[in-house]
Amino acid sequence: MNFWFGLIIGLKEIGAHKFRSFLTMLGIILGVASLLSMFALTEGVARGMREMLAASGGVQRVEVNNKEPSEEKQDLAFLSPGRTMDDVAALEKGASLVDLVVPEMNQGMPISRDNKTLRLKAIGTSPGYFELGILELEEGRLLAQNDIDQVNRVVVIGSDIPGELWPENPSYRPIGESIRIMGVPYRIVGILKHYESNAAKRKREAGVSDAQLKRRMARMGKTKKKMRQYDQFWEKNHCIAVPYSTYFNDFRTASNADGSPNRKLDRLSFRVADIALFDETLTQVRSILDRTHRGIDDFGFDTREEWFDNIESSIRATRTSGSLIAGISLLVGGIGITNIMLASITERIREIGVRRAIGARRHDIFVQIVVESGVIGVIGGILGLLAATGVVQVLVLLSPVENAPIITFSAVMISFGFAVGIGVISGLYPAWKASTLDPIEALRYG
Amino acid sequence: MALVELRDIRKIYHVGDQDIAALDGVSLTIDAGEFLCIIGPSGSGKSTLMHLLGCLDTPTSGSLLIDGVDVSNATDDQLSRMRNSKIGFVFQAFNLLPKLDVLHNVELPMVYAGVSAKVRRERAIAAIERVDLGHRMYNTPLQLSGGQCQRVAIARAIVNNPKIVFADEPTGNLDSKTGETILTLFRELAESGCTIVIVTHDNNIASRLPRRIEMRDGRIRVGVEAAKSQTAPLLVSHPTPQKGEEAQP
Repeated sequence: MNFWFGLIIGLKEIGAHKFRSFLTMLGIILGVASLLSMFALTEGVARGMREMLAASGGVQRVEVNNKEPSEEKQDLAFLSPGRTMDDVAALEKGASLVDLVVPEMNQGMPISRDNKTLRLKAIGTSPGYFELGILELEEGRLLAQNDIDQVNRVVVIGSDIPGELWPENPSYRPIGESIRIMGVPYRIVGILKHYESNAAKRKREAGVSDAQLKRRMARMGKTKKKMRQYDQFWEKNHCIAVPYSTYFNDFRTASNADGSPNRKLDRLSFRVADIALFDETLTQVRSILDRTHRGIDDFGFDTREEWFDNIESSIRATRTSGSLIAGISLLVGGIGITNIMLASITERIREIGVRRAIGARRHDIFVQIVVESGVIGVIGGILGLLAATGVVQVLVLLSPVENAPIITFSAVMISFGFAVGIGVISGLYPAWKASTLDPIEALRYG
Repeated sequence: MALVELRDIRKIYHVGDQDIAALDGVSLTIDAGEFLCIIGPSGSGKSTLMHLLGCLDTPTSGSLLIDGVDVSNATDDQLSRMRNSKIGFVFQAFNLLPKLDVLHNVELPMVYAGVSAKVRRERAIAAIERVDLGHRMYNTPLQLSGGQCQRVAIARAIVNNPKIVFADEPTGNLDSKTGETILTLFRELAESGCTIVIVTHDNNIASRLPRRIEMRDGRIRVGVEAAKSQTAPLLVSHPTPQKGEEAQP
């Protein structure tokens, strides 16, 4: 039988029992809607996390962090100097698989100009800091090796700093001006570019001004401070970077309890030159640091790769459990279709007998019933997609900007495919039953 | 030539642990262009015979040739093909599909024959006009009278140009006047060369047809057929060939 003819019959059948068909479809509609919304939600979270990962330097960036030494070495732990500039020197000299080593000393400090004071994290670092963190300059210059060598009191600031220290003139680019870090004057030599997430950019382009945002935040009972955790670029835009040599001289020379200088780094990061040699690089770095730490394993690696894997696996887990729930909903919908199709063929036994008598083969009857239930699946799927779009719109309004759900084409196709598949599969048993009816019996029926 | 040939057909139904012979050795020949009826009381096997002739069922034993094709051991699909291309059915209860209009009801057999939509439309219209229902093309069966419904059913039966049309009590649900017009329609079809078999228990109809086959207890009654076919008034204008071999020896 002609497929299109079957389709027309199916549509007519659905049209003849609109309410019944709608109730039948409801299971599919809800199933598809929940499946697609779930896909959109996890996709949104995944995007947000990937964006954050890329913003922090990607998988090539590895951080050396502090770790409890293993048990047998705990008594000797005092031998290790910890992470110091010696590590940096050793890595720069010996780690051939590493192409960038960045030390960092940092501490929250008052940053002031005239009578305005911000409390921000000041960072003492090397020029590589900007390269590793993918920070670009807007105006002036970045830190240079020269600044380190000559212990210059210069600072590179994030794009939000001028606006906050010169509120009377937010567009002022204060290159050459002086700010005080814990009372010590530093000269501003560079201002970084303004960073914002794609979501924030979209929002800005859609015309949500800061004022609107503030009002919105006020309405939601949130202060700006609370909103910080949602902006992964906040730190970049509030950067206060000075040469580590100057930082050490100004803030660390007598900072230990006994008055000795604190030589420890707060952060030590490096960049893997070739991602294909990731594990080899870690081994190399480990053996070099073993020497500088005098054999005490008081350090570990925080790789973005692990972080990335964690993100991916948690997203997968969410997706799996969400799919399971949506799948159960779809299954229930499918059972509903089977049920209605069984009722429908019982209603139409005579019609089936007539079709058989005028020459329909078993196969034709089978196809007709499967097409009918498939059509229910298709229509239910389309309605479900529309419903999901609505649900996602609501979620976009409710959820934090970075994790706003995103409907992807493949998610749409998968959800829709499931709906159609369930529709067709649910029709198989009724179709088989209808096609094996004895035409003589069927003609006599009713 | 013989359009339908039955040789010693048996049809046995198993009911519980009993075997019931609905047909018990029936032999019969129907020639192309014949207009005949199968008559008998209920339980005589006439419906079973029609189902076999109409390829709705296969015999337990014996051979059954329709248009030269042996269908006694045919598969379900082969039987469906036969019904579609060589056989037309008219039922007592019309059995039109209530959701489809007249045109689509008549088109239906051609859908299963795989005829293109355009040709389907043309042939359906021609068939509907042949039964005088050109003005009811887009009505559904529920909007038609019983006689009109039966005419639609006849149009549907003939639209694929079948070799043979079976009518099972075609006037059973109609008043006598309407029944008369349906019979007239069949007669016209027979005159144009179509082979028509009417299954009935109504002697009034049977006595006016050129040939009658009387069933009793799963067999064809010997002698009755020959006698009737000679005495019956010939309603069909052209002479119908009679072979008279149908009765059991």
